[in-house]
Amino acid sequence: MANQSGSVYGLTVLSPVLDDPEAEVSHNVAIRKYLSTLPRDESSPFSKVSSTHMARLVVMEDVVFVGHPAHEEHLKSQYLVFESNFDGDLDTYLTRMAQEIPDAVESVWSHCVGYPGLKNVRAFVAYIKRCQLTTTFYFADVNNKTVQQTLRALQIQSGLARFIELNQGKPPSEIQSAFAEFWNSVETASPLAPGAKGVGELPCFAAGRAAGSEGGD
Amino acid sequence: MSKTAASSFSRLDETDIQGFVLRGYTFPVARYLFLEITDADKAQRLIGSLIDQITTGEHWDQGKPDSTLNIAFTYKGLTKLDLPDATLLSFPVEFFQGMKARAGILCDTGKNASEHWDPIWHEERAHVWLGVYAQSFEILLSRCATLQQAIDSSGGARVIGAQDAGAIVFNGKPSSKEHFGYTDGFGNPDFLGVDRDTQPGQGKLMPDGTWAPLATGELLLGYADEAGELPVAPVPHILANNGTFMVYRKLHQNVKTFRDYLEEKSKIYPGGKEKLAAKFIGRWRDGTPIELSPDRDDHNLARDKQRNVAFTYGGDLDGKRCPVGAHIRRTNPRDAFGFNGGLINRRRITRRGLPYGTYVPEGEPVTDDAEHGIIFMALNASLFRQFEFVQQQWIEYGNDAHQGNDKDMLIGNHGGRGRYMIQGTDDALNPPFMCGGLPNFVELRGGDYFFVPSITALRLIAAGAVDPR
Repeated sequence: MANQSGSVYGLTVLSPVLDDPEAEVSHNVAIRKYLSTLPRDESSPFSKVSSTHMARLVVMEDVVFVGHPAHEEHLKSQYLVFESNFDGDLDTYLTRMAQEIPDAVESVWSHCVGYPGLKNVRAFVAYIKRCQLTTTFYFADVNNKTVQQTLRALQIQSGLARFIELNQGKPPSEIQSAFAEFWNSVETASPLAPGAKGVGELPCFAAGRAAGSEGGD
Repeated sequence: MSKTAASSFSRLDETDIQGFVLRGYTFPVARYLFLEITDADKAQRLIGSLIDQITTGEHWDQGKPDSTLNIAFTYKGLTKLDLPDATLLSFPVEFFQGMKARAGILCDTGKNASEHWDPIWHEERAHVWLGVYAQSFEILLSRCATLQQAIDSSGGARVIGAQDAGAIVFNGKPSSKEHFGYTDGFGNPDFLGVDRDTQPGQGKLMPDGTWAPLATGELLLGYADEAGELPVAPVPHILANNGTFMVYRKLHQNVKTFRDYLEEKSKIYPGGKEKLAAKFIGRWRDGTPIELSPDRDDHNLARDKQRNVAFTYGGDLDGKRCPVGAHIRRTNPRDAFGFNGGLINRRRITRRGLPYGTYVPEGEPVTDDAEHGIIFMALNASLFRQFEFVQQQWIEYGNDAHQGNDKDMLIGNHGGRGRYMIQGTDDALNPPFMCGGLPNFVELRGGDYFFVPSITALRLIAAGAVDPR
């Protein structure tokens, strides 16, 4: 499928924003107000939906007239643009959004035309799919690895670098036993959460053990 | 990519371009004077009186002069000279902001932050840069004394600081060594129309493996660049043409820290100390490219202009010879990023650096704190697209070089947490090796962005005749 690159899915959703002249605060402004309160780091609601590589929400007001010889044109509606790259299939992802970050979903899509609410998750999934813009090709800025696999790989890479730094040049038997300890540490290490600090800090490098190396983490 | 616009002329007007822009002077000593402008009219007259002394790009058919003089201005300096607002507003934003304000992009934080800079940079008072190069220290002093007199009597500016620099004397002769012991100054690019003693390996890599000059607009304003576009430049065009932008950075070198680190790591590096030093930057300390001679330095190769910059990394993508993150490979990646080198042609800078401070030979007691380092000066048509990109993306970040967050080993702002991986082979003397706990070998002590006008532009500035309409 064109929206899928390996195990990673590229989702683009355009949801028309409600146009209500009677509204006290227009719906596009309400969405923007809410979006401006969202953290952009690991405390973003989307980090709770842990299969998310990246996600972005934007209000698209209109097409910009750039002057003659272009024609002046306008969109029929304002749109909420939702982009996400995530692991796995679309139904599962949308279901997780509905179940794991209902407040965020409600705060955004309640300002959109045709939004059915979250009482019926299948209706929400069907609604988002109706707003989906499919593609024949998309640029996947991640390799074919899940978020968790990527974090794990970073943890191991960083840990291995530290292991090499601390043990290079030692006699093979010492390296071997140090490696056994390192590998045990890797295997038993708890998985990292997105945005976790100190990706390379494995138990085998705990304070005291790294003595003799200058200025390390 | 267009090669049409740029190739339609064959020669630049060397009498209109400051000589410092077109060539490295290779004089043994230099002094950079920093002036504060105190009166616009009088400062204009001072500039007018200096114009005929400014060294241009003309060939030295009568032999090398005793000394040279060049001039450049910060944005603040141009405002102090009362340039029209319409002109001032037309300069690129990074030049308007100045280097200090670009700290976030340049990673000039921590030990490199402006609170650690020399006092003359604390307020925006260094308005003018006067670069004086001379054949001897005596000539330099006498030239500067004459200049000082002219400046003092002008009533329009005063000298607020002077930075001496000079070639390190090595084995009794001025050399191109820097304080860590490396031979420096290889690899400045060639540009179309710039008449220069060219070497294969400079300029841009062509599909057939030969090297060609870069478009003039990568160095000078008013000419087509590698995209066939004119670089962003101020109005009127006559003010911009034949001018360029200069980065000035005083880079303090922690010589003791560097030597101790190299000594410490070489104890467990099987290839030995000199090979490790070579793996750090990509050249043996005599200048031999490690890509061409991975096992030993080769003085003949280091001196051979047909070979010492003529190499690529396409056959060494694993970094078995030159590590993928080595300093010269990160800052001038040649073909290392694929596409036959096409990704880097708009990121090239022309360096005009000189060391400052007294060189302490290897093995003698040395400190970090003594005044020693490099005055890094680089010229480019776009500070944003060229220098700032190299600094931000290739020195302080490693993604393009497939080095993740690892910074440039030699000049990165590591803060004690840096890491540098040396790739290797099965050869016992060329093993993979991990350098951790990297400190800052180099610290920023000040600097700014300067506009280096043409002679014509200097006349306009001196006459108060810059007209943006």
